[in-house]
Amino acid sequence: MTNYSFLGDDALIDALMMEIASLLRNFIDNREHGGIDLLGMPLSPECLAALEARLGSGEVTIRLDAAGRSESRETGFAGVWWTSHCDEAGRRVALLIEVAPVPDIVPPDICEIEGALSRLTANTNFAVRRGGNRGTFI
Amino acid sequence: MNLLEFARGPGLQAASLIMIAGIFWRVCGIFMLRRRPQRAQARHPLSARLAGGAALIATRFIPRRAFWTRIGTSVVLSTAFHIGLMLILFGGAPHILLIHQITGISWPDLPKGIVVLASGITLASLLALLLRRIRHPVMRLLSTTDDYLSWAMVFLPVLTGVLLSGETVADYGTLLALHILSVELMMIWLPFGKLMHGALVFAGRGAMGINFTRKGAAT
Amino acid sequence: MNNARGPDDETLGEMLARRGFGRRSLLKFAIAMTSSLALPPLVAPAMAANLAKARRRSVIWLSFQECTGCLETLLRSSTPTISALIFDFISLDYQEALMASAGSAATRTLHEAIATNKGEYLLAIDGSVPVADGGVYSMTGGQSNHAMLVDIAANAKAILAIGTCAAYGGIPKAHPNPTGAVGVEDVITDKPIVNIPGCPPIPDVLSGVLVHFIAFGKLPELDDRKRPLAYFGTTIHDQCYRRPFYDQGKFAKSFDDEGARLGWCLFELGCKGPITHNACASLKWNGGTSFPIESGHGCLGCSEPDFWDKGGFYTSLAGGSGTGWRPAAVAAGIGVVGGSIAALTARNRARPDTPPASVPAAAALPPPAGTSP
Repeated sequence: MTNYSFLGDDALIDALMMEIASLLRNFIDNREHGGIDLLGMPLSPECLAALEARLGSGEVTIRLDAAGRSESRETGFAGVWWTSHCDEAGRRVALLIEVAPVPDIVPPDICEIEGALSRLTANTNFAVRRGGNRGTFI
Repeated sequence: MNLLEFARGPGLQAASLIMIAGIFWRVCGIFMLRRRPQRAQARHPLSARLAGGAALIATRFIPRRAFWTRIGTSVVLSTAFHIGLMLILFGGAPHILLIHQITGISWPDLPKGIVVLASGITLASLLALLLRRIRHPVMRLLSTTDDYLSWAMVFLPVLTGVLLSGETVADYGTLLALHILSVELMMIWLPFGKLMHGALVFAGRGAMGINFTRKGAAT
Repeated sequence: MNNARGPDDETLGEMLARRGFGRRSLLKFAIAMTSSLALPPLVAPAMAANLAKARRRSVIWLSFQECTGCLETLLRSSTPTISALIFDFISLDYQEALMASAGSAATRTLHEAIATNKGEYLLAIDGSVPVADGGVYSMTGGQSNHAMLVDIAANAKAILAIGTCAAYGGIPKAHPNPTGAVGVEDVITDKPIVNIPGCPPIPDVLSGVLVHFIAFGKLPELDDRKRPLAYFGTTIHDQCYRRPFYDQGKFAKSFDDEGARLGWCLFELGCKGPITHNACASLKWNGGTSFPIESGHGCLGCSEPDFWDKGGFYTSLAGGSGTGWRPAAVAAGIGVVGGSIAALTARNRARPDTPPASVPAAAALPPPAGTSP
């Protein structure tokens, strides 16, 4: 990547803010999630810090422990998340801006929830009928 | 072997050897030519004659006032070009590095901004000089292939050097190879064309000055 | 999750789950891989889904004329990561260094793997291929490496040339190249080849190539030297954190001077970063610890062909291998001789103080008008 530092950090940050805006628009219109890979950009550490400061902080921070520590922090803009993934050695392996109600990695999928139900009821005498919302003691 | 390896290896060796052989050929050839025998007694002693030679080298850099209206533009442009080129060659960090690697001698480099400014002035004055040579009827009449070729042999290294420092037109390896190859072309051409004035101008002016002083003429 | 299949039948997702890595771990790994491969972030869920469904793929690893550095760097993992597990998963059916003590049993394994996975196995090569004198300089089990490569590559799906030796010939190919070492691409011309050069290559690059192949069933986009564009598309110079010093003209002049201590650019100390394509400046080495420039030494250019023969490691790109003093003296001598001959020829042709023959002597001229003779 060519060093674009001569452009000035402000120009890069403005461009990224515009892209975030267009991803938000896309979500509002089409419900499609979006993302920007920050490690793939020619951003200096100062520029990254300035971008993070511009986005600010929201109310929600999600910490994830899966093959290393990850953190998703909602920014000051609803639906825009600052996500950092680290491996077991603590080395950062991904840095993203995600545009979604919740980062994609957070919600469990239906298979996992079904598996959880199986495990939960496996060694108990409690079963839940499919379609019912009350359990029954067997 | 890619272009860069050729330029830094066999190309550089061949160009250096041709240039060295050529320079010695021309210098020896000129100095060993028969000179008109001086039958009159010298007006001044040898030390004065040598001083006169040195003085003429210096004074000929600035034309006499009577000639300024005709040649003023050329003198200004040429001076700007030569000074710019000297600043690039002897003030630019990569050139000082090259000389250091060959001879072991180095000196502090100029700030990059000054070298960039000098490059711009050098390129602009080269183009202006070419334009003058093409448009001025007398210059056009007098110009030969040697003139245009010598101009191109200097313009190409300066141009490729500017592109290399910008690193945007092509990748670094390609630009570096083109720059080194253009310098090698200039090195090969140098002894055989008007670029040889770089060495001969001082010898020529010096000889003329010594001669004038010998005869008692003003220098 | 209930899995009645044995280890050889299970998918990668099932294997990871068995080792305690769930869906989120795999998705996180896929996010990291899409970033590493310069793919859009939205590809990550699809990559994770494909990886989860992937079945074991046979890889045959042949080591030729090499120092084993490539194998060491790729298989030594300081922490158990999904990358390491994927290496486990890809079923390294044959690898001589790891199977050395197995003797002829290893050779049988090789032939079984080839027969079972004909047309589907990946062939990974490290080390160069010597071709001089019938290839006798590197042989395994009585067969030359050259013959082995031609034989086994015939039924491979694709070939990974790992390390600069396998890609371009590397150290064995350095002048005078007594064994006739060449890279894999000089021997095999009819199979897809991915070059993963470096001395050694960065482990993450091989992970990325394998993951791309497992997830999408095809090799990543390659450049004109058959290197993955995602990792070799830029030079060290373009990504180097010392680049601002280069742009400002601040160079270290020797290894322990003030400039070196301040972390200035190492261009004048022979750094080949401007002409070297690799991901060292971004991915770094040893789990992201550092890379040569950050440790204070210029880039050697080890992922480029013939890096051993490009002049010294400490000769900057501004210099070259110029002529020695003896050839220069000979050239000067030729010039002196030539110039002298030219001058002497010119001298003998015309004598400036002798009048031309056509001018008559004064006595032969008629007297001027009005005067007596």
